[in-house]
Amino acid sequence: MRELFAMWRDTRMILLVAVVAAIYAAVLLPFKLFTVIPGITSIRPANVFPVIFGIMFGPAAAWGAAIGNLIGDVFGGTLGPGSAFGFLGNFFFGLVGYKLWGNLGPLSSGEEPNMRSVKQVVEYVIIAVAASAACAVIIAWGVDLLGLVPFTVLGPTIMINNTLAAAVLGPPLLYLTYPRIKDMGLLYPDVMREEDLEETSFSQPVVAALGMLVVSPTWLVLGIYVFSPQSTMQMALGGVGLLLLVVFVVIGNQGLPAQLKGANIR
Amino acid sequence: MSAASSLYVHGDSVFHRLAPRAKIALVAGLFAVALVFDHPAFVVVPLVVAFGTLVALGGWSNFRRVRFIVVAVFVVGLVVWPLFTPAGGPIWLSTPVVELTRNEFLVALGRSMRFASFIITGLLFVTATSNEELVAGLRSLGVPFAFCFAVGTALRLFPTLLGATGTVRQAQEARGHDLRSGSPLQRIRNYIPLLIPVFMTAIRNVQTQAMALEARGFDTQAERTFYGRQSLAGSDWVAVGVGSLMLIGSVLVRYVLGMGTV
Repeated sequence: MRELFAMWRDTRMILLVAVVAAIYAAVLLPFKLFTVIPGITSIRPANVFPVIFGIMFGPAAAWGAAIGNLIGDVFGGTLGPGSAFGFLGNFFFGLVGYKLWGNLGPLSSGEEPNMRSVKQVVEYVIIAVAASAACAVIIAWGVDLLGLVPFTVLGPTIMINNTLAAAVLGPPLLYLTYPRIKDMGLLYPDVMREEDLEETSFSQPVVAALGMLVVSPTWLVLGIYVFSPQSTMQMALGGVGLLLLVVFVVIGNQGLPAQLKGANIR
Repeated sequence: MSAASSLYVHGDSVFHRLAPRAKIALVAGLFAVALVFDHPAFVVVPLVVAFGTLVALGGWSNFRRVRFIVVAVFVVGLVVWPLFTPAGGPIWLSTPVVELTRNEFLVALGRSMRFASFIITGLLFVTATSNEELVAGLRSLGVPFAFCFAVGTALRLFPTLLGATGTVRQAQEARGHDLRSGSPLQRIRNYIPLLIPVFMTAIRNVQTQAMALEARGFDTQAERTFYGRQSLAGSDWVAVGVGSLMLIGSVLVRYVLGMGTV
């Protein structure tokens, strides 16, 4: 978790936050593939960016996705109390990718995310689903809490539209751009200081990654099928789900730095 | 391109001249009123106030840009909320397919108005607040400088990238690239030739921009001073007072007097 705050010391990471935010907002606004709920959500190709940027730029992508979504709200004319949950949801949309890559135990490819093998694509798709679910449940919970759109309606909608764009566009985009970004020296393990990315004494990267993988989809299923919108249980479920996600972020760690180190040694 | 680079409308109104913090307080007050009450007769008040002020400040063109969203959230709310609201009161609409009670209708209408009120109040804020004021407002609220710098830089890069996105799209379409052809999956894949140039162009400049900033002494750790830092004037304090009054007043009316529920 330290890296989320330590990154603000580095000029390149701050600029990456700004660039990620600007790209996300610039592609989010003009390109809409299909409208799912008119005026509320649609399938947008930009939803691939938080996941692939998360894997490549780490914490800069988490902050960048959050700010980019906020800018989208400002320029799209939809700024409101729901934007706070949009900020948080998109923060996790960008965060889950770098926390999970390389830490999924038997589900991990053990390789860099250059999408040169089927195992990498499988790992990527699992991460895209987990990141989409985290974003979906946080926004849907917040918007339900505000009494704007029921969780039952918005949760699956965001989940589907995020997952489709991220899972379909992610592998080819990573295949084409990851080697170039690596050559530019802009992968977060190359930009950030080693001590800011080191494990702490209480780090449990695999437990945290598997926990994040399970919490959001479970929250989504319970929120849709078990608890009714605006109920006390729905609110409590969100509180517990968010708390668990934060705990897993705190005890989690990033897998890419170790993979890059391994590749350099070889 | 559907979105221009800013919704800010130049003006010299009292609202325009308020400090960003005071505008945030006023807007938060309006948000609170719309959020606290459920009954449409109460939620309509912030909606009408925000809409009237928006039009008075020259924001009609901004409203026209989001009118589709406002209408859509209204219609979707009216359709969806009755499905999740306990039936109560007399039946107001009876068809072979669905029955709508008074309770269901009022809750749905209240929720739709709340959503519309949020959108129009947010629009009012961005209509009267420039990007620079937005960042200054964040800073004056105590948000760390590095974060404000990233937001400010993103806001400045955004129009450039929006333009680049449009240019790349036109260039690819001129080469015969058709975004709308094929199955839904193919249509998603069609975006790959558009996304890569936009994204690589922006990323390529990060290293040189970072060096340029550091060469000019950019340091997020050092104590910073600001040119033109705005302290709160008398009118700003009045706005903060009105915002606080709306917040506290609506909570008291709702939870102490028990008014505004369905």
